[in-house]
Amino acid sequence: MPTTTANPAYKLELTSSPHVHSRWSTKQAMWFVVISLIPSLIASVLFYGFYQILIVLTSVAVCVGTEAGVKYIRKREITVKDGSAVITGILLGMVLPPNFSLVFTAIGAVFAIAIGKEIFGGLGYNTFNPALVGRAFLQAAFPVAMTTWTIPAFSDAVSKATPLSSLKFDGIPAAIQPMFFGNIGGSIGETSALAILIGGIFLLVFGIANWRIPLSMIIGILVFGALIWLINPAKYPDPLYHLFSGGFLFGAFFMATDWVTSPLTGKGMWIFGLGISLIVVVIRVFGGLPEGVMYAILLMNAVVPIINRYTKPKVFGETK
Amino acid sequence: MKKQVSLTKEFVKGIWEINPTFKQLLGFCPTLAVTVSAMNGIAMALATTFVLIFSSLIISLIRKLIPGQVRIATYIVIIATFVTIVDLVMKAKFPELSKSLGPFIPLIVVNCVILGRAEAFASKNNPLRSFLDALGNGLGILLVLTVLGGIREILGSRMIFGAPILPDSFEPWIIMILPAGAFLTLGLLLGFSNTLTERKKRLERESLLNKYRPAKAVTEVKEGGAA
Amino acid sequence: MKTVIQMLVVLTAIGLISGGLLFQISSWADPMIAVNKQKATEEAIYIVQPEGKSYEKVSADGFEGYKVFGGNKDLIGYAFVYEGNGFQGKIRIMIGIQPDLSKISFIEILEQSETPGLGTKVTEEPFKNKFKGLNSKANIGWVKEGASPKDNEIIAITGATISSKAVVAIIDSGLKKLRTLKEGGKL
Repeated sequence: MPTTTANPAYKLELTSSPHVHSRWSTKQAMWFVVISLIPSLIASVLFYGFYQILIVLTSVAVCVGTEAGVKYIRKREITVKDGSAVITGILLGMVLPPNFSLVFTAIGAVFAIAIGKEIFGGLGYNTFNPALVGRAFLQAAFPVAMTTWTIPAFSDAVSKATPLSSLKFDGIPAAIQPMFFGNIGGSIGETSALAILIGGIFLLVFGIANWRIPLSMIIGILVFGALIWLINPAKYPDPLYHLFSGGFLFGAFFMATDWVTSPLTGKGMWIFGLGISLIVVVIRVFGGLPEGVMYAILLMNAVVPIINRYTKPKVFGETK
Repeated sequence: MKKQVSLTKEFVKGIWEINPTFKQLLGFCPTLAVTVSAMNGIAMALATTFVLIFSSLIISLIRKLIPGQVRIATYIVIIATFVTIVDLVMKAKFPELSKSLGPFIPLIVVNCVILGRAEAFASKNNPLRSFLDALGNGLGILLVLTVLGGIREILGSRMIFGAPILPDSFEPWIIMILPAGAFLTLGLLLGFSNTLTERKKRLERESLLNKYRPAKAVTEVKEGGAA
Repeated sequence: MKTVIQMLVVLTAIGLISGGLLFQISSWADPMIAVNKQKATEEAIYIVQPEGKSYEKVSADGFEGYKVFGGNKDLIGYAFVYEGNGFQGKIRIMIGIQPDLSKISFIEILEQSETPGLGTKVTEEPFKNKFKGLNSKANIGWVKEGASPKDNEIIAITGATISSKAVVAIIDSGLKKLRTLKEGGKL
């Protein structure tokens, strides 16, 4: 490689977070994230049909448009090229139910960028994961549409419920195997655990996402899930059910690992991941809702500044 | 001797300049809780205004008799009397409205706008000024609660004052009639009002600067002032 | 000392004046409030017993129930209020029922604090109509959408299963209470 081309990774820039803790620039990292989401997208097209691509594309287009629009109104440099709005768009699209209305998708995308990110000052200043803010808004605004789950195209199942809601409201657990390969009701991106794992491991191998967060979340859900399960195995789902159902894996690899809204230190990441899985188990087992990954991540996002403060590495030479 | 502000100013200031909700950030509890519709907002604001006017008037009338040590207790007794009157009258004459506002009518007693105006204004000014001040502040509350209730009603239930204004194809945003919608809308309205205030301040500052600068420097100031 | 006396005098005077004022106002308002309350109850009774022309309060064991009479002063059924827990808070229901307790005439939700747009669907006509003519000889129940209900079952609202279940459970326990009262000859 000729040394004359400027390598963005070695340029000295003073910016707010996300501080890239890897060998890739923000722009390159963005493409890695997009690639890592392709397996899940393929899985959702296979199981739910081609329309899901339209949802994701709508979400991306509106997110980018909103970002440009807000920056223009605020008379700031238009920074859509950093790709963060694209990723928010894809992630938001992937956590919506299959065959979701495109109008609602657009409303959620505007909210995710405008209220979830730009109102805090733009990328790096937002406390909460913008895609999840958008989803939380849609969940509260259109609860019926957000909990209408389409039956997978090649499924013989009659129930429209997701594995978690059928367990919560009817006491019928689903089998683990279809959850792993993807033949279940659920959000666009969370249908196949296998596809998420392929994409997630790809991210970890290239160092885009920090391995500590997904690992601590998975360990956490297995441990906390097992504790509850051991109390009454007949009533509560086993830990693997917790791991493979709902949006847990998707959240672990793609949502919780967001550079801006996750802790900076290794120890902090462990606390963050374990905290999320604890809240997930509490909501799923004791709450009124069947699923709690979104709220768990948003809640832990809120305490990230405190985690950062208390896990700050000691300054060399400091006595206490 | 402090220069007295004009009576008009005393009245007008409550509507925007020191608007209880936007500028003093007081009385958020009823503001957030009852504004699911424009009508609820108006009813709440009118009830609050009634209590505000009468308690300010009475407190101003007897302000010289009240010993300083028990003034808060005295204010609260006076305020509570008028709140109970409003509550009883509404229950008797407007049972529907009273039901939809629920416990928030009795809770006007602890609305800090009212105690705030009593302590900050009525206890130091004559009855006429106190009346105008209370009326202005009441109108300020009315303005915010109506706008807030209106926005939430339009988006949350497709209606304004109970009459449908958006087509059936518009899916109501349920979040707007939930508490979360109240916080979001109020936050955005506050941001908007702050933007307006900032802009006004900036323009005033610029015109002041221009006034005292030599004429030839005017163009430069314009550019710097925008930062 | 002087201030102490002043404090006592001022507070006592204000307390007396406002007490007197409130007494006047409440003696004016109380009858009207009572009328309003009665009107609301009456309306609900005639909603759940549309053919009713007059009613009479039944009081037994703190149970709020009414005998409802038709045009010829004949007993056409009962109306009673029962409450229980919903998804988020208390649900109060007025239930109308045939004199022999064999069929529900209609129900009206008096108070609830369910999720707007979801749980609040139990207050809407389509849901309440499901209870019209429901067989109430034995327990009543519910089924999920898609299943075929028996004559003592209703179809729960999709997305508001918990609220639907709660309404059914409240009515069911109300009926149980009514049956024991009837058997004990207290109705």
